[in-house]
Amino acid sequence: MHRTKGLPAAVALLLCAALAGCGGSASADGKVVLRYTWWGNPDRAERTEKAVALFEKANPGIDIQTSFSGYDAYKQKLATQAAGGDAPDVMQLDYRQIDQYADGGVLLDLGKERATLRTSQIDPGLLATGRVDDVQYAIPQGRGTETVAYDVRTWRESGVPLPEGSWTWTQWAERMRELKKATGKPGATDPGWSEDCFEVWLRGQGKTLYTKDRQLGFTVDDLTSWWTFADGLRREGVVSPAEQTTQLDGTVENTPLGRGKAITDANWDAPASGFKALLDGGVALAPMPTGEDGTPGQYFKPSMFLGASADTKYAAEAAKFIDFMINDPGAAKILGATRGIPVNESVRKAIEPALADFDRTISDYQASLEGKLKDPPQAPPSGDSALQTTFQRDYDQVSYERMSPREAAENYVTEAKAELRS
Amino acid sequence: MTTTIARPAEAPPAAARPKRQREGAAWVFLSPWVLGAIGLTLLPMAVSLYLSFTDYDLFNPPHWVGLRNYTQMFTEDPRYWRSVVTTLTYVVIAVPLQLALALAVALALKSMRRGRAFYRSAFYAPSLLGASMSIALVWRAIFNDGGTVDNLLGTGGWVNKPGWSLLAVALLTVWQFGAPMVIFLAGLQQIPGELYEAAAVDGASRWRQFVSITVPMLSPVLFFNLVLQTIQAFQVFTPAFAISAGKGGPADSTLVYTMYLYDRGFVASHMGYASAMAWVLLVVIGVVTAVLFRTSRAWVFYASEGER
Repeated sequence: MHRTKGLPAAVALLLCAALAGCGGSASADGKVVLRYTWWGNPDRAERTEKAVALFEKANPGIDIQTSFSGYDAYKQKLATQAAGGDAPDVMQLDYRQIDQYADGGVLLDLGKERATLRTSQIDPGLLATGRVDDVQYAIPQGRGTETVAYDVRTWRESGVPLPEGSWTWTQWAERMRELKKATGKPGATDPGWSEDCFEVWLRGQGKTLYTKDRQLGFTVDDLTSWWTFADGLRREGVVSPAEQTTQLDGTVENTPLGRGKAITDANWDAPASGFKALLDGGVALAPMPTGEDGTPGQYFKPSMFLGASADTKYAAEAAKFIDFMINDPGAAKILGATRGIPVNESVRKAIEPALADFDRTISDYQASLEGKLKDPPQAPPSGDSALQTTFQRDYDQVSYERMSPREAAENYVTEAKAELRS
Repeated sequence: MTTTIARPAEAPPAAARPKRQREGAAWVFLSPWVLGAIGLTLLPMAVSLYLSFTDYDLFNPPHWVGLRNYTQMFTEDPRYWRSVVTTLTYVVIAVPLQLALALAVALALKSMRRGRAFYRSAFYAPSLLGASMSIALVWRAIFNDGGTVDNLLGTGGWVNKPGWSLLAVALLTVWQFGAPMVIFLAGLQQIPGELYEAAAVDGASRWRQFVSITVPMLSPVLFFNLVLQTIQAFQVFTPAFAISAGKGGPADSTLVYTMYLYDRGFVASHMGYASAMAWVLLVVIGVVTAVLFRTSRAWVFYASEGER
């Protein structure tokens, strides 16, 4: 009798114990535990860990749990976590995510934490890119722009003149062709897969990816001629073959340049630091090609943002950590330009002379473009996040010669219109 | 008389109490399962059915669209049909290959005298390991451009070729033939040895014995494995996901149904559409299983039927 009565209680106790194990994020020793997630490469990881250690030393009551992955995987994981109401306390965000996440109520209004989170040293225009409907949901961490990163030694040894100043897409293609002739390797990653490269090409012609009212800013004809251009170079062997291009996933390790199978790669400037570890011959940066009349297509963009979860139990601590990552001179010294050139102007001025190695390269590269570029486009509409992948997939059909550039372009535009409508 | 009538009201009959107590205990023991079934299966299924009629982007509340997800799927989405064709191709390649290999190894193991236990474990091991992501990643490295297969056969990377990548995915599944093999082995051991002895006396060849004794006697087991593996094959996800780095590439060649479903749900944030896809898959698997059961009447032989 006693046994049967005791049993439900025992089961209930067990269940409670099991459930309690899942809840609560304060650790056993009473510390506040903040989860902080970001995307990046091992170089960024190493410096981030060091900066986090510095923060933890200064704030013994706060424990930061970090995790990172490549951009593609990060994007998916974060969307899932956010949907499940389990977004990390502090998260790195892309320009393309802010709109959607802010709309969905995932992000904390950082304006309320103004006391701890200082923004006075950030360029107001740049700061505004983290704002949706006048609420500051995210703080930009750095400024970035696209670049043609190249393997210096191989290029120099090939005898082909190094890139100097600006070049048009035609001149770029010609230079890649010479590189292919001299080295036998493709000059560049096939740019056809990349929505970012397409945007630079479009802007070079005075067009845009999206219109102000969040519709497509280009036509099937535009995309057809871009893919015809890229596909032609691929058929010549001037840019990477389809087998290489299809492995691109946003990490530098999987680019043809990173694998030693091409001489250049068009990428954002901050992640290009990752090439340093992969190439013995050193990495240098050249500007992106311009339109045929010299109109620049690339632009300065807030490279990435930090935001906090609307559900975090520790809003003040999260704000404190974000403030540290953005405004602390010690953190800036460690982080360098790994997330773009710092946005805090006094911090930037303070660390600029001390920037070493690749950070120096990025800083000099950006300085060389200062005043030459056009204004950034407005933040992309939320459907764009999925369209980036669609863009790559549709180009796969072209590079594997399963569709003509026009067929693929028609496919893309149809899908994009459906995506942007919903 | 009054006492006998009043009795049940005063106290339950002596036999009833232990029975009710046993029931209570049974429910207590069942409760983890019942809670799990309701909370982790039935409830999510109901929600998913509801979501399949909505437009839901994970962040904003679902918004009712009726049958639009279903009509869009069947009439406006070429990639959906591509995923259907890819999945069917995969099922047709992977299931027969896997069952043939499982049966062949089971036959070899049956006639083996020594070390059977060792080989049985060795062949079963991939089924335990194979479902893990790490093995799939190793597989990807093996079949990648510059990987082992490329170096041995000089064919270039299979996973980078649209014509070959699905085969690489299928091979990863085929390699995990352990579970059907163990079931085949058990089935083979059930076949009475006298049948073979009698056949041997009559001068039947090995092949003849296989066709006329082994296959009919094994047909219920074969049917069981076929149904189980087909259902599993329709739901293939992990190998395709790992081998194509979550993209279904190259050129959508490994975009199996569940992966496109995942893509719609978690990459494009169209949960409603993904739910609708899941329900179509459920119905299709149901239909395919029913068809298999229908055809089984023609070829599955149950020993007990002879006694009727």
